[in-house]
Amino acid sequence: MVTRRDFIKCAGGAVAALGGVETALASTGPHLDPDRVGVLCDFTLCIGCRRCEFACAEEAGLPHGELRAYDDTGVFAATRRPDAESLTVINRYPALSADHKPLDVKVNCLHCEHPACVSACPVTALQKNALGPVTYDPWRCIGCRYCMVACPFQIPAYEYHDATAPRVMKCTLCQDRTLEQGRPPACVEICPQEALLYGSRASLLRVAKARIEAHPDRYVDHVYGETEAGGTSWLYLADRDFHQLDLPEVASTSPAEVTESIQHGIFKGFSGPLMLAALVGVILKSAGACEKCEAEAAARNEAGKEADHE
Amino acid sequence: MPRYLAIILGLTLLAAPAAASDQAVKEAHPHDRLHGHSEVPGAKGQCADCHLCAEPTAEDPCMVSCARHGGQFRGVHEVAEGPGVVVIDQLAARYEPVVFAHELHASMAAMSGGCTNCHHYSEDSGAIPTCRQCHAADRSEVDLSMPALKGAYHRQCMNCHLDWSGDNSCDFCHREAAEPGAPVAHDATDIVGIPHPVIEAVATYTYETSHADAPVVTFHHSDHVDVFGQQCVDCHRGDSCKSCHHGDQKPAEHARLDHVTSCCACHGERDCNFCHGREPMPRFDHALSTGFDLAPYHAGRACQDCHGDPRAFRYPSGDCAECHIHWEDGGFDHGITGLVLSADHEENDCSDCHVDLDFARRPSCDDCHDDYRFPAESPHCEICLNLMNEGDGRAAAPSCGHEVRRPVNPGRP
Repeated sequence: MVTRRDFIKCAGGAVAALGGVETALASTGPHLDPDRVGVLCDFTLCIGCRRCEFACAEEAGLPHGELRAYDDTGVFAATRRPDAESLTVINRYPALSADHKPLDVKVNCLHCEHPACVSACPVTALQKNALGPVTYDPWRCIGCRYCMVACPFQIPAYEYHDATAPRVMKCTLCQDRTLEQGRPPACVEICPQEALLYGSRASLLRVAKARIEAHPDRYVDHVYGETEAGGTSWLYLADRDFHQLDLPEVASTSPAEVTESIQHGIFKGFSGPLMLAALVGVILKSAGACEKCEAEAAARNEAGKEADHE
Repeated sequence: MPRYLAIILGLTLLAAPAAASDQAVKEAHPHDRLHGHSEVPGAKGQCADCHLCAEPTAEDPCMVSCARHGGQFRGVHEVAEGPGVVVIDQLAARYEPVVFAHELHASMAAMSGGCTNCHHYSEDSGAIPTCRQCHAADRSEVDLSMPALKGAYHRQCMNCHLDWSGDNSCDFCHREAAEPGAPVAHDATDIVGIPHPVIEAVATYTYETSHADAPVVTFHHSDHVDVFGQQCVDCHRGDSCKSCHHGDQKPAEHARLDHVTSCCACHGERDCNFCHGREPMPRFDHALSTGFDLAPYHAGRACQDCHGDPRAFRYPSGDCAECHIHWEDGGFDHGITGLVLSADHEENDCSDCHVDLDFARRPSCDDCHDDYRFPAESPHCEICLNLMNEGDGRAAAPSCGHEVRRPVNPGRP
């Protein structure tokens, strides 16, 4: 069914195309919906119960133990990364002081506003949905794994163990639940502390800033994901600088914007290829001219030799 | 002059609908359903007292953080005013209801911040609303700036429990809910007749007695609770709270309460060896103790199904038809045993094959048919057996007329 919004978007796109106006649609995905969703994760509320890990594996159909197996806090001994069998993991960082509690940090795909993985994907298996999630279609994926290289947060994993139909594995914000059923993601639903909050990104940002304002002693004045990599759908609140939590300091422009501006600049108006063709032409022509010179010189030499001979 | 008239008229026209809509907003204001918010807009009468944005909507009311109402808490409350125990069961799904020892926590809180350690709001009258009067159980019904009921409960508990013990395991408060249909486990709310938080008791007690021949008495507490389905009050009748709670000391280990109802109250007619022995006794095993193996078809039954009320124990005679009365009228699905009766056998009486109605002994085909043996030795039956072991569990073996399938749903005739 075509909604009114979709119709207007299509009509707008068509008009823009007819007018020969370049739109930003080409590679950056659809225009983002002003009500696009996100998740606010407040690390200071997280208790490290790892229920989100369980719910995520259950929802994604990945191998998982019984619920009580996730009570094991021994896993916090090492810093973990999401992999092909666990799309989200909790890491624990020691308390800043005796007055604080240890901080539990949830790591998963942040669903960038302008995702580098989507930009890198040559077959649009990864797409940025206008409503927020970066979705994945395994039927389109050719397994090139460019997305894994492109991601500034190094999130996507690959099912190397599957020889026949390996998938790129990352959080899809429970795309079936959120986009089709309008339900919150599984991790949000199970979180006992409501440390995870699901809603429109704009209102989540407002809630995050209101919390920082209300408890300046509790939070560092920074909402991670507001501007990181051009903004992300997931937003983090913490009691310390985020680089101490192994969250990378990335520029406020999306890496995709940089690469796309170079690529698109070169190919703008087909000017790059034309210039290349012209350059090649000039080289060839000058090379041809030289050949002519050489031929003439050779002819002169021949003539000289003949004259000497005589 | 006509210009002034026009301005006044214009202002009146503008003001009238504004006043009307203001009234409509006040009447339909969603906060009326929230407890303690009867006087909205806020104290200064401004929407901006509570709303951050100029045009709040139902989807995005953009509320200011309540900040626990700035700690508005009025009145002085005694520990005894509150409930002793609160059973939190509004959200029971994965877990059983949580039994929260309110009085115990209130006593502890009285030593520090008092009621406001947890109760962050009370009405002007001093009345304290319950959590769910403000925090809706459904997250979609609350504004993002306010936790829903689940978050509100957990933050209250975990903020302190993490600080004190660092323990974040769910089973500190929760017990996993039993699978639907499974026998109901021990009900932790029945201790001395009132709801009480879960008490972890020792599984087995062994007592040394003065009897020279058989000095050891073994008491399997967990068997009595988990297997025999005894309630706490069945033995701990008349226990006082002081049996465990000694003033400001921690509850004593749940062991050797001298005043429990004695074993003889239930086992009075048994001989001495029922309890006394030379060695500690193993846990109860139905096959060992009674000679009737519950596996496989009776393994899932509760004791009461065969033995009735634990306080008026009844011994079945061993005649299957005593319980399985519907077998008489052909209502028994023989397929659950693994053997689907063919049309030729369906009309038989049970005793035709099960001689003397001894169902423990497995009938053999050659009891009646000289040439057949079921299941191992007859070539025909071998086919069936293979099908039973390897196939999808249901297949017809035309030569012997038997349809064979795997037992389904054992223990639920």
